[in-house]
Amino acid sequence: MNYIYHLIIYFEIYAIVAMSLNLLIGYGGLLQVAHAAYYGIGAYAAALVWTKLGWGFFPGLLGGAFVAGVLSLLVSLPAWRFKGDYFVMISIAVQTLIYTVLYNWTEVTNGPFGISGISRPVISNYVFVTTGSVTLLYGVLLLGLGIIMALLKWSPFGRALQAMRDDELAARSIGIPVDWLKLQAFALASAMVGIAGGLYAAYVSYIDPTSFSLNESILMLSMVIVGGTGNVRGPLTGAAVLILLPEALRFLHLPDAIAANVRLLAYGLLLIVMMHLRPQGLAGTYRYQ
Amino acid sequence: MQILINGFLQGVLIGGLGLAFALVYRTTRVFHLALGGLYALAPFVLLACLTTGLPIGFSIGVVLIVSILLALSLEETIHWPFARKRAPTEVHLIGSLGAYLILVQSIALIWGNENRVLRSGVDTTWSFLEITLAQAQLLGAALTLLAVIALSAWLSLANRGLELRALADNPVLVSLLGRNVRALRRWVFGLSAALAATVAMAQAWDVGFDPHVGLNAVLLGMVAMIIGGTGSFIGPFIGGILLGVLRAEVVWFGSARWQEAVTFILLGLFLFFRPQGIFARRVRLEENV
Repeated sequence: MNYIYHLIIYFEIYAIVAMSLNLLIGYGGLLQVAHAAYYGIGAYAAALVWTKLGWGFFPGLLGGAFVAGVLSLLVSLPAWRFKGDYFVMISIAVQTLIYTVLYNWTEVTNGPFGISGISRPVISNYVFVTTGSVTLLYGVLLLGLGIIMALLKWSPFGRALQAMRDDELAARSIGIPVDWLKLQAFALASAMVGIAGGLYAAYVSYIDPTSFSLNESILMLSMVIVGGTGNVRGPLTGAAVLILLPEALRFLHLPDAIAANVRLLAYGLLLIVMMHLRPQGLAGTYRYQ
Repeated sequence: MQILINGFLQGVLIGGLGLAFALVYRTTRVFHLALGGLYALAPFVLLACLTTGLPIGFSIGVVLIVSILLALSLEETIHWPFARKRAPTEVHLIGSLGAYLILVQSIALIWGNENRVLRSGVDTTWSFLEITLAQAQLLGAALTLLAVIALSAWLSLANRGLELRALADNPVLVSLLGRNVRALRRWVFGLSAALAATVAMAQAWDVGFDPHVGLNAVLLGMVAMIIGGTGSFIGPFIGGILLGVLRAEVVWFGSARWQEAVTFILLGLFLFFRPQGIFARRVRLEENV
């Protein structure tokens, strides 16, 4: 049963990651490859708040979200000027830069050795020790964030984002403040993935920079593209595929050593097949025109 | 001086990759991430050929043929169908990302994730004045330089080369003039793969290789292209040399740990302040519109 809970917890964390990336790609049409960096910033900031300052669970999560949200300026300001491939290049640069800082700023991040001894969530003196209780807590958080994302789509902010995605020039012409909108979208998405990073740190109790590399960003992007963008269903499907694919591969009796490779190989295949046959992903609504 | 020469020799390899990346990007607007997969594959195929006892010259030929055939299959199955549908650049990028994942994970499944070497023992070194250079370093740079010179001459003198340059400058006009754009695209993908494979073999002969070396290499090629400029084919090669020298100086004056950060800060600076690169051609005002 613990294993099932473990899978559900990972699904909950990745579902938040996928929903936050969907805000950028699906609602805003902003393809970026630096999401793992902000996931890492959230994880590190929350871990430092918990281990160095001794603050509680929610202040740590909010601290991670705040730092990730502020540092989103590194990608949102260039987004004023760059689109398409050039924006992807900028986001790769930001991803590499943040990863290098996490890896080399040993005084704060402990470099390649990472931060260990992160405690499980504690709320009002109740320690979420068992995986079942963590599943419940993260499930409630996922539900809350999912409802916010669903409401966001139909809010004036969400509609303005979608208008910007479909035709930026037309959006500007009817008075939508596109630049300000991009700042908000990146801050919101980065804060949200920062929360997911904090949840990850609290669950695994140990973080190091390798969990937040460019490869992880590529995996997150693949997850969202495969699941689909433009609604809440798509990212949730992407996260489910990410978690369930290795389980499905177990039926093939593959050795554990190659399971990760086979999973990524399947992801690569799915990306190409999706782009050919179903560009909106398995359950998404937005497709690149 | 030693650092400068080392940087120059490394820069020649980066420049070769810059040219390989720019060949595809300038002519087709495809962000060719899969080139990283082809780069990673080349030394593994070479090692497999050498292990079976094939002579080195024949083995290199096999590597080039395999790389070209794979690149052509990527064009035929992914990029040409997308181009016919007039898909945006993001779709090409996602398709290329899928191909990269398939290539790298296939390599890992066949040959494993471990580091490999193409030669054993201590390399021969040559010293003159106060400079010491390894044989593998010199051979790799010389091989790449020869390939770049041959390709540049072909692009400047051969009819097909001139057509490729025309395709980069104005693809619509090339099509209207009745040139076979599909055949030209095949040439571009094939040549780019052959050049990347040459650089990969040179680099692997010097420092070894593993299945995951491709992404970093192709990103360095991308930075070289931005530094040198997308307006010419030789610009990315010169940009690569400058980048190689700068990276060597970073190691000398700072630390190897910050090499990647400096590289990608440079990318950001160029994209912001000189997106046309160092070697931008002076063009008439209406050509910029």
